[in-house]
Amino acid sequence: CQDELDLAPEDERQTSAAVFSNPASYEQFLAKLYAGIALSGQQGPAGQPDLAGLDEGFSNYLRLYFSMQELTTDEAVIGWNDGTIANLHAQTWTSGNEFIRTMYSRIMYQVALTNEFLRQTSDEALSDRGVDGQLRTDIQNYRAEARFLRALSYWHALDLFGNPPFITENDPIGAFLPQQTDSQSLFAFIESELKAIENQILPPRHTYGRADQAAVWMLLSKLYLNAETYTGTPRYADVITYTTKVIEAGYEIPDVPYQNLFLADNDRNGAQKEIIFPITFDALNTQSYGGMTFIIHASVGGTMVPRDFGIDGGWAGLRTTQQFVDKFPGGADSDDTRALFHSDGQTKEVLSIGNFNHGYAVAKYKNVNVNGNRGDYPAGFVDTDFPMFRLADAYLMYAEVVARNQGGDVSKAVGYINELRERAYGNPSQNISAGDLTPTFILNERARELYWEAHRRTDLIRFNQFTENGIWAFKGGVPQGSTTPSYRNLMPIPASDLGVNTNLTQNPGY
Amino acid sequence: GTVTESATGLPVPGVNILVKGTTNGTTTDFDGNYTVSNINQGDVLVFSFLGFSSREITFAGQTNLNVQLDESDAALEEVVLIGYGATTRQDATGAVEKISPAQFNRGAVVSPETLIAGKSAGVRITPSSEPGGGSEIRIRGGSSLSGNNSPLIVVDGIPLDQRGVQGVRNQLNAINPDEIEDFVILKDAAATSIYGSRASNGVILITTKKGSLESDFAMDYDIKVAFGQITDKVDVLNAAQFRDIVTNAPGTNPALLGNADTDWQDQIYRTSLGAIHNVTVSEGFDSFTYRVNLNRTDQQGVLKTDLYERTAINATLTQDLFDKNLKITLNAKGILDQNHFADQGAIGAAVSFDPTQPVYDPTSPFGGYFEFRGGSDPDPLRTEFRQATRNPLALLEQRENNSTNKRTISNLNLDYRFHFLPELRFNLNAGIDYSELDGFETRPLTSAVVGDDIAYENYYTGINRNSLLDFYFNYKSAIEAIDTKLDLTAGHSYQEFYIGDRQRFTQSNEFQNTFNINRNALESYFARASFDISNRYLISASYRRDGSSRFSKENRWSNFPSVSVGWKLMNEPFLQNSTFFSDLKLRAGYGVTGNQEIGGNYGYLGIYTPSRGRADVQFGYNSNGSPRFVNTLRPEEFDANLKWEELQTYNAGLDFGFFNGRLSGSVDGYYRRTEDLLATVPVPAGANLSDLLTTNVGETVSRGIEVGLNGILVSTDDFNWNVNYNITFQDLEITRLSLGEDPNFFIPQGGISGGVGNNIQIWKEGYDPSTFFVYRQVYNEQGQPIEGAYVDVNGDNQITEADKQAYKKGTPDYFMGFTNSISYKNLDFSFTFRGNFGNYVYNNTQSSNGFVGAGTVTPQDYYSNLNANVLQTNFQQNQFFSDYYVRRADFVRLDNVSLSYLIPGDAVNVRASLTGTNLLTITDYVGLDPEISNGIDNNFYPRTRNVVVGLNFSF
Repeated sequence: CQDELDLAPEDERQTSAAVFSNPASYEQFLAKLYAGIALSGQQGPAGQPDLAGLDEGFSNYLRLYFSMQELTTDEAVIGWNDGTIANLHAQTWTSGNEFIRTMYSRIMYQVALTNEFLRQTSDEALSDRGVDGQLRTDIQNYRAEARFLRALSYWHALDLFGNPPFITENDPIGAFLPQQTDSQSLFAFIESELKAIENQILPPRHTYGRADQAAVWMLLSKLYLNAETYTGTPRYADVITYTTKVIEAGYEIPDVPYQNLFLADNDRNGAQKEIIFPITFDALNTQSYGGMTFIIHASVGGTMVPRDFGIDGGWAGLRTTQQFVDKFPGGADSDDTRALFHSDGQTKEVLSIGNFNHGYAVAKYKNVNVNGNRGDYPAGFVDTDFPMFRLADAYLMYAEVVARNQGGDVSKAVGYINELRERAYGNPSQNISAGDLTPTFILNERARELYWEAHRRTDLIRFNQFTENGIWAFKGGVPQGSTTPSYRNLMPIPASDLGVNTNLTQNPGY
Repeated sequence: GTVTESATGLPVPGVNILVKGTTNGTTTDFDGNYTVSNINQGDVLVFSFLGFSSREITFAGQTNLNVQLDESDAALEEVVLIGYGATTRQDATGAVEKISPAQFNRGAVVSPETLIAGKSAGVRITPSSEPGGGSEIRIRGGSSLSGNNSPLIVVDGIPLDQRGVQGVRNQLNAINPDEIEDFVILKDAAATSIYGSRASNGVILITTKKGSLESDFAMDYDIKVAFGQITDKVDVLNAAQFRDIVTNAPGTNPALLGNADTDWQDQIYRTSLGAIHNVTVSEGFDSFTYRVNLNRTDQQGVLKTDLYERTAINATLTQDLFDKNLKITLNAKGILDQNHFADQGAIGAAVSFDPTQPVYDPTSPFGGYFEFRGGSDPDPLRTEFRQATRNPLALLEQRENNSTNKRTISNLNLDYRFHFLPELRFNLNAGIDYSELDGFETRPLTSAVVGDDIAYENYYTGINRNSLLDFYFNYKSAIEAIDTKLDLTAGHSYQEFYIGDRQRFTQSNEFQNTFNINRNALESYFARASFDISNRYLISASYRRDGSSRFSKENRWSNFPSVSVGWKLMNEPFLQNSTFFSDLKLRAGYGVTGNQEIGGNYGYLGIYTPSRGRADVQFGYNSNGSPRFVNTLRPEEFDANLKWEELQTYNAGLDFGFFNGRLSGSVDGYYRRTEDLLATVPVPAGANLSDLLTTNVGETVSRGIEVGLNGILVSTDDFNWNVNYNITFQDLEITRLSLGEDPNFFIPQGGISGGVGNNIQIWKEGYDPSTFFVYRQVYNEQGQPIEGAYVDVNGDNQITEADKQAYKKGTPDYFMGFTNSISYKNLDFSFTFRGNFGNYVYNNTQSSNGFVGAGTVTPQDYYSNLNANVLQTNFQQNQFFSDYYVRRADFVRLDNVSLSYLIPGDAVNVRASLTGTNLLTITDYVGLDPEISNGIDNNFYPRTRNVVVGLNFSF
């Protein structure tokens, strides 16, 4: 009977040998790499999680990335009881924090997934399987996208953890101990990868939802903009180079309201003309308890009417601080249409994190279209896409370099900012002049334009306002806020990984 | 002649002497003398007397025939099954315990394992209170972390699938408790390693009853009727107390409260009724027997709508052929298991539902049940607050979930003694355990749980198939020259386990389908050799080689040897004449066993899983402008080097009997070390395709002492009093947990209710796996916990996870069982106490609802009730990780009291019985029940107190 012991899956699961006999499998595997950011597993909305160490909904990449980038700053607080989530805003996290741990796991999982894709699509593997013709050409495009997605995740790792483990397609799958890299080396790797694929990947605006040349340029711009943080060496000239490529790639600030960017139909209500790289969601086909489902549901509470947000009930608890509201002249009643707050029934001041009525709610994201209707879809998921990279960010990056006197064209920069402000105010009354273009103005303008789009922590660190400077409610764990030690500009390597991987050294301070 | 006792030479009066095959016979007189007349040469004389081994002597014409009889100990000669064979109690060299019906717990027993709760040292059985629910069984505490910790159950020679059977509450319910002949518990590796890779958690052999040869037709009807009630409720606030707290909490709106005073727990619980009928007929001829049992069991749960029903037939046929050299046994069980599953979410909902709200609301669109609502949707069925607690009674009454499981466990056993070599026996066992599940769950559109535009429907079906073919040769002989008896066994086994399931359920207004097949197979070779030298020295060795489909070719096969020795001190000359000892035997053994129950079937193989349901990704647009969605394909994590978990066990034991067997017992001590522990642990980030991986990492060590005592306090014709006491001391410790060397490395375990990602226990080197991990609470002078004040263990002036400490554990240090059986004439009385000591419970019902914010800080316009503990702590916010909630949970429970009376008759004997179960629990634990298997008390299905009336007629 010994042959009877050679058993392989008999249901829809397949061995790697069997699965790639289907030509469609390559595109499906590529889709998994994108799903790695939008979804939490193989069953929507939940049921076959990618990661097992935390509740599936919480383990979603975008939800965790949002939490890392926003909950740690003045832009967001959350009043939930879940694990150590309160320590994120208080900046009192330790290496045992499960949300930081799962972010780290999620990033490294995404890297491992892309590595596996690159292994399975190597020239050797494809030749062995006799793959040629159009499929082989398509797969070369897929490989460039896989390398982009890996670079994106490694950039997140660089930005959050500084010195993460480093693996490529040349490493095996198993229980080995990956080597640790450092910020300089990782910076160089990401840069070389992006430059290597720059001319292999699809041209701008080729296929909605897939990464293209403009996404590569955006990521290079963001890498260079923060180069001083990562490596100690500024690279502002490169920011001008690559933001210029993005700006000249045919994207536009459309003549539609700012809010359109964050609605259920943001893939077709005009806003899509600005979006360079979205993380797509669909209430019917792309369901998860993370991502946009989380951001919209968690921000709806108190007197907010769930139906107005296109959902069947808010989760409540996600709000913002008074310091952030004050970034807008006039606060919640600002003439700036980007000030999308819900203040009814809420106090502006956050005196208690656990009290859901403290702090204004943010009404930026909604699951309704421009007419205020949600899809004909009743359950608790959303159609709204997350605009991970959009043209306004490229404008602001370009302008920031100009404001720092590191190159670029002043009049262009002022023009870009005013294009955004005219959309915000509906008229040129609040346009700025070259004299207004200071680094501080840029930091605040980025907050007003890009809040809750997962940029804030990185921006604050670049301006050294995240830890040693900068005060907001409950920073440091005290109601009035306090500064924190600068080592918290990097997240700790999770204790669980230090415990299993003896190649790793903890980041300083932890 | 004269009959004397061999040991003492004293005459034995009252010995029966019979000429075999006739009624001609006599008995010895007071001096042991006898006379038999009318006897021919070649006749066989049978000498028998209670307490002595019978002798048969062929009459050869002597005028004077003196006979010596050896004293026998029935208990010592009792046959005890071990894997693939049998031994006797006196020849067993492993830690083996047989439990017979006389020792069973009484009452309306639905789940067979509860028959032996509290009866055996080293075996901890934590019963469930669901109707027909399965107990947690731990022999020597279990050996694994992430692998299975339940023992292997072997029913009439068929090892059951350790993963259980889908859709049933307890797969052992397929065995009618009334039809169990005995349980044999194999505890140490010397006894279990013949079962190799599945034996690390012990083995329980269950044998069902058979007819006996040459017995008259007998019929038996038995009925038991049981009434059950909960013993206690979770202590929550009443309407007035709740109103008071909500009114005084900042930022609340008391207008949201209702005017009712509802005890929601009263709404969901009821007095449960149950009835068990058994009809049994049996008869034995000179070579054929049959026994057929019909069983019908109906058992309600105390939770409304919960119901378990069983209709079963158990038939056993035996046929002897060829001068009894071939025995054929056919055992067939057919079971129709029907369940109505109650929504157990109602238990938690009842604890937290606002007591000021009414049960029913005439204006409610939700079937007339009160629900929290007020949403602005024009459709009244969409106005419920989706985040609110749902009406507990509606959860129960607005859900149907019925399943039927048709199952058969059948086996055919051939046992052939070779004519030409009677020492050699061949045994073939072919068995199948096959079941089909068919279930349907639905909630109407008017249920507030349903968020779709269509009613919730879930059709689920499945097949479990466990097929077995094994055979062995057994050779038993004696080598007179070296005064040695030998018993040799060698065989082969193949077993395959197949589980298929399909589900079709509504989600997002559509039907979704899932479909899974999981198959694995085991092939095994096994052998055992036992030697009994001079009836004093026992040596036994066993060996099993198992191959499992769950491991790669390189790691597929593993060997599980054992060796054990015994010294029958009782038979040494210096003890042979002892009147103090009636039995004395030393045992020692060592063996290796394995565990392959690791969850998945393909953990060594890299496989790909397509996405199902709603997990697609948009890639651009189709030519018609609609978004184009692509299904995804995920490579799964794997460990190509995955291999067997191995457990090494050292065991030493002493069996003893004093005062002619009036006091007997066993003491066993063990030391066990699990290597290549299968644990789900964090994988080094980036090294694999998930964050956690089930792999071979770490070690655990466990130690224990087990004492079992049996005493016959009184033994007369009319009055008997037997006592059984057992006590077990156990200790389990993780000694290694990761590839790294960090002594502070730990893995959080034990998720709790009240926030996601909150764990209350840890796995850490040096600690029991159920150890709690908490802050040290600071108390004020009055002994009240100060909210948020914890000991700053590391002195960094802030309270972070670094200040959490390992503290106490969920498993007991020691536990015991104590049974008394008293009979006076036709009256039987028995009672059993059971107790655990040194175990702690984390009171999650208090921690998750015992602070003001738990009821007043809510995402929508409703409030939730609080645990009454909030009146003592006055906590405003959650303090989940305070050691205040880790409570001592020692207990002693009066588990079972039974009284029965036999009314003998000519044609029918009637026995009437009255049994009470779970009558009294002595504990300091404040909460529903201190006996919580994982140590986390949350939404616990309350154990019932039962009163059972029984009548038994035997015709």
